[in-house]
Amino acid sequence: MSFSWPRVLTIARREFLSTVRRKAFVFTLIGMPAYFAFVSWMAIKPQIAERLQALKSLTVLAVVDSSGLYHGARREIRTEYSPGDNPFSTTSGSPQVQWFRTEVHLYPDQKTATDSLKAGRVSQVLVIPPDYLATGKLRRYASQSGLFSSGADRPVTRWLVANLLADRVDSMRIERVVRPLHGLDFYAMNRQGQFELRDERREAFDFLLPMSFGLMLGLCIVIGGQYLLQGVSEEKESRILESLLCTVSAEELLGGKLIGLGGAGLTLVAVWMFMGASFGGPAAALAQIHLSPALFFFMLTYLLLGYLFYGSLMTGIGAVTNNMREAQQFAFMFTFANWAPFIMLTSIIGRPDGRLAVGLSLFPPTAPVTMMIRMSVPGGPAVPEWQVGLSMALLAAAAWFALIGSARVFRIGLLLHGKTPNLPEILRWARSG
Amino acid sequence: MLELRDVVKTYDGRAVVNRVSSEISPGEIFALLGPNGAGKTTLIRMITDILKPDSGTIRLDGRPVGGDEKRRIAYLPEERGLYRRAKVTELLSYYGALKGMAASAARDASRRLLERVGLADRADDQVQTLSKGMQQKLQLCTALIGDPGLLILDEPFSGLDPLNVQMLEEILHERSQAGVTVVLSTHQMNKVEELCDRALMINRGYMVLHGSVPEIRRQYSDHAVVVRASGRLEDLPGVRSVEPFNGDLKLTLEADATPDSVLRALVERRVVIESFSLATLPLEDIFVKVVREGLGLDQGRSERAAEVAPGAR
Repeated sequence: MSFSWPRVLTIARREFLSTVRRKAFVFTLIGMPAYFAFVSWMAIKPQIAERLQALKSLTVLAVVDSSGLYHGARREIRTEYSPGDNPFSTTSGSPQVQWFRTEVHLYPDQKTATDSLKAGRVSQVLVIPPDYLATGKLRRYASQSGLFSSGADRPVTRWLVANLLADRVDSMRIERVVRPLHGLDFYAMNRQGQFELRDERREAFDFLLPMSFGLMLGLCIVIGGQYLLQGVSEEKESRILESLLCTVSAEELLGGKLIGLGGAGLTLVAVWMFMGASFGGPAAALAQIHLSPALFFFMLTYLLLGYLFYGSLMTGIGAVTNNMREAQQFAFMFTFANWAPFIMLTSIIGRPDGRLAVGLSLFPPTAPVTMMIRMSVPGGPAVPEWQVGLSMALLAAAAWFALIGSARVFRIGLLLHGKTPNLPEILRWARSG
Repeated sequence: MLELRDVVKTYDGRAVVNRVSSEISPGEIFALLGPNGAGKTTLIRMITDILKPDSGTIRLDGRPVGGDEKRRIAYLPEERGLYRRAKVTELLSYYGALKGMAASAARDASRRLLERVGLADRADDQVQTLSKGMQQKLQLCTALIGDPGLLILDEPFSGLDPLNVQMLEEILHERSQAGVTVVLSTHQMNKVEELCDRALMINRGYMVLHGSVPEIRRQYSDHAVVVRASGRLEDLPGVRSVEPFNGDLKLTLEADATPDSVLRALVERRVVIESFSLATLPLEDIFVKVVREGLGLDQGRSERAAEVAPGAR
């Protein structure tokens, strides 16, 4: 039967529409970014809130000084807090600085001080033993311990240092001793060989951006592959295929499914990218991160090749297995290869041009995600052209073989029910014309 | 015209379809018979180009079925399924589009088919809300949409109530009169006798019966006649025995006697004859006999089966 593109597109259209209309798709479309946003928010927001809360609540610090070093110390601590400390803040321009004031009350003994703490008259108690100068040991008492209880460390440290050096060093030197790197501008060489200013915000993106791109690509490939696996498996189980195969060829059916469900996967990515750009874009812009159009081109290319490779495999698996559960078991080992780069994420980001990263980006099953991680490391070394070319060529060849083999397995496997073929049988089908 | 010429399909060195040949004319309702595992489904899959024969040819109107002729073939498999979440009209339009129909033509054809099978009021419902019988009728519509030239139905009556069976029979006759070739695979032999012009039976891949239904029945008659008559029937020349048979009398003939000679003898004896017919077996009994006794599976096999009814081709 001659291969008919109109038939392929008819199948693709149905596959696309029936997938995007599913509640599960809509849930994935909106739910997945919402879930990641929630997890990120849960991870970052409490830290910031806790740090602020620790500063706010430290209104009175009771000091029991047995060392005699702090009798003449200042009775007030003023702490500066800048929203710029939050790398995900989208506030541009000069950060609005907040000041927090803490009174210092000296107490003669620990018991009186802790009684005041229990009575709520003081926020915390700092006990400075007589041998503090020699040993550096001291004790702090608080009415409760938060998850980030170190939030109040900064003002206490500042007060201890400042007053320890008060009579010996001038105030400017004290300030530098307390925060020696406060005004640090760190420059690192970028891909163009120029030094580029980096900051905390930038450091966060260095890690998150490659991870997000790799994750998005990996998710798209896996989700598209899962749709295929599910679609073929369901159709085989419900015996729809036989009447369809009377009208269309197995190759047309496979082509239509790959295009339609790939389209559904691309829709997911497009919407997620739009959401990501809307929410993360301003922060990335502030961090002076400029994503080149080439990155998006490579992302699309790797997405298509990776999807073709995994999608073909999933289709073959769906065709040779008898039900969804069996199909999932087979699919797991392949899906795992797609995610493998994430297990080695730190090594890949740490050395994007290292042997591991290069090896994984040339190996077809791990190539899409690894290459995406390597390419999106901000300021990381440029991936050599020969590696990109070779990686794409190997992946394209693997995708082609997977497609041809799957089409053959698909044609035979679709009509088999009850018996799952063994590996030699599957390989024989894949080799046969 | 559907032509099968020496079609062979082998799995693991075993021929599941072995040199099957036949010609089925436009407008003919043709039965494809055989016990489970006989090779019927494999043969149908080759006719529908789902499988390729190892040797032999299958042609529809002179062209191989592997080309665009495939669009003119519709197949209702025995084990069937539908997209459960799809709406009824959407589903039919999809099948129509796959058969090359324009969207509007597919919608119109869907509407007409749904009206014909009594599902017009469910056009906008999801398939999963339909009863089993309704889904069965919808399946039939998926096969009928696009006006196929060859309609292959595998056990189409299963799951249908008598009213719907009657409706399906009417539809088959309509299609047949419109020139559609209908291949019916079923184990309901009474339906074959009622509907089909000719039949092909395969067993273990070999053709074991092939010809018009009355010819096959005659061929497998008991060499006896059934007579309703008044008069003395004993000691008739050429008659070995007389026994009651469903209210009539069954006359088993001597080996060298013919129904014609017995009829002449009855007339000569002045017996009043109300009816005289060959004592043919129902197709179901022939089916059982052929399968049990392995008839046609000895030497000669398919060639011999073709000889059973020489005028069949």
